[in-house]
Amino acid sequence: MTPDNLPSAFPSLARLVQELNRLPGIGPKSAQRLAYHIIRLPDEEAYALAEAVTAVKQNTVYCGECQNLAESTPCQICGDPRRARSVICVVEEPLDVLALERTRSYRGLYHVLHGVISPINGIGPDQLKLRELLERLADPEITELVVATNPTMEGEATAMYIQRQLGRDDLRVTRLARGLPVGGSLEHTDENTLIRAFQGRQEL
Amino acid sequence: MTPAGGAERGRTYRCEGLTLRKASIGEADLVVTVFTAEHGKVRAVGKGARRSSSRLVGHLELLTLSRLSMARGRELDIVTQAEVLDGFAEVKADLDVMTRGLYVVELLDGFGPEDSPSPALFRLAVNVLRALPSAAEPESPLRYFEFHLLRLTGMLPELYNCVECRKEVEPDSHRFSVNLGGVLCPDCRPLEAQVRPLSLRAMKVLRLMHRGSLAEVSALGLNPSLSLELKSVLSGAVRYWLGRELRSNAFLERLHADTRS
Repeated sequence: MTPDNLPSAFPSLARLVQELNRLPGIGPKSAQRLAYHIIRLPDEEAYALAEAVTAVKQNTVYCGECQNLAESTPCQICGDPRRARSVICVVEEPLDVLALERTRSYRGLYHVLHGVISPINGIGPDQLKLRELLERLADPEITELVVATNPTMEGEATAMYIQRQLGRDDLRVTRLARGLPVGGSLEHTDENTLIRAFQGRQEL
Repeated sequence: MTPAGGAERGRTYRCEGLTLRKASIGEADLVVTVFTAEHGKVRAVGKGARRSSSRLVGHLELLTLSRLSMARGRELDIVTQAEVLDGFAEVKADLDVMTRGLYVVELLDGFGPEDSPSPALFRLAVNVLRALPSAAEPESPLRYFEFHLLRLTGMLPELYNCVECRKEVEPDSHRFSVNLGGVLCPDCRPLEAQVRPLSLRAMKVLRLMHRGSLAEVSALGLNPSLSLELKSVLSGAVRYWLGRELRSNAFLERLHADTRS
């Protein structure tokens, strides 16, 4: 049974299935299973879910500085006086900020591009938060830009494009190191990564 | 069952593939489109290939030639092993060259047949990608690729006889029509033809592309106006047959505009 052939006597269920079906990774069968699960939930749990969806849409804004999704602008990170304001780490997506924050080893600021330059998919610099980044970098207080786009071809293209657009010679521009993942093996590592790992080898 | 025209693929098979397209599905899987000599375009799933500890990671990057072990799936094949043969590191080291590489990839994705052996097109693409970093005129390998892509897909531009009256064209008195697929003599003016002038020099380079090697064409020093004319003729032809603009070309032109400003 797909959302299209749900009994017309049950339009509200059909609508819920249809909405769930739009979510990434949720096919028609999963959407139906989730919809029936929601019907069987106690009222307060179902309303809490609906309220959480509404609240996240109402309360989410782009931070005016780092462009990350947040509940206020400036966001918690940009507003934190303990963070180093001289370093900006540029990432592709909000989830990348979460990943880097989990390490607790970086204490500077971020900039979220919300995507990556992908010429084949027609995604160019104008679709990203790149102009905002260049505006931030005009501030002489910023002395280092850490380019932390993914080590994919699009991530590299974005990094190279950013480097071309920088108008400052006094800015230190760094790129996250590429090499062997913890738990990986030399045997299965591609040649590009091995070359980089060799180039970036460190004293024991 | 293999569709008509496709080389027989067993339950498992090996091939060399050039990655044209990558899309994320599920928690950590990838769907890749690879171009192979034996089977043309093949779509396959790399299970867990987005995890940094996956054995496939790095081997299925865009614009990478890999040796692949595949298992036939019901809808999509499954990549069981992958090993990089050529990562085209020099192509990827420069943004302009990389974008030209992506233009080749986008054309292969647009024109490459599925489930049909395409060894000549496969070799052409790999050779053009290898020629890109050192070409005298940066875009001439792309023009060579466009020309032979048209030839291999049955749309070779006619360069010797008028496409309307079949008479041999005289030097310097011809025009080119994309939709009629070649040169027109001055006497023929078919109503439906989209016509543009074609200089003698451009005609000579096109004929050299037909007979000459990639190395000869890549070594040609072309002046900017001739380069532009060839681009207009050949990119115009592939765009006409593909029926849409090429996205990587838009980015390439933007990069050129940035350099000029």
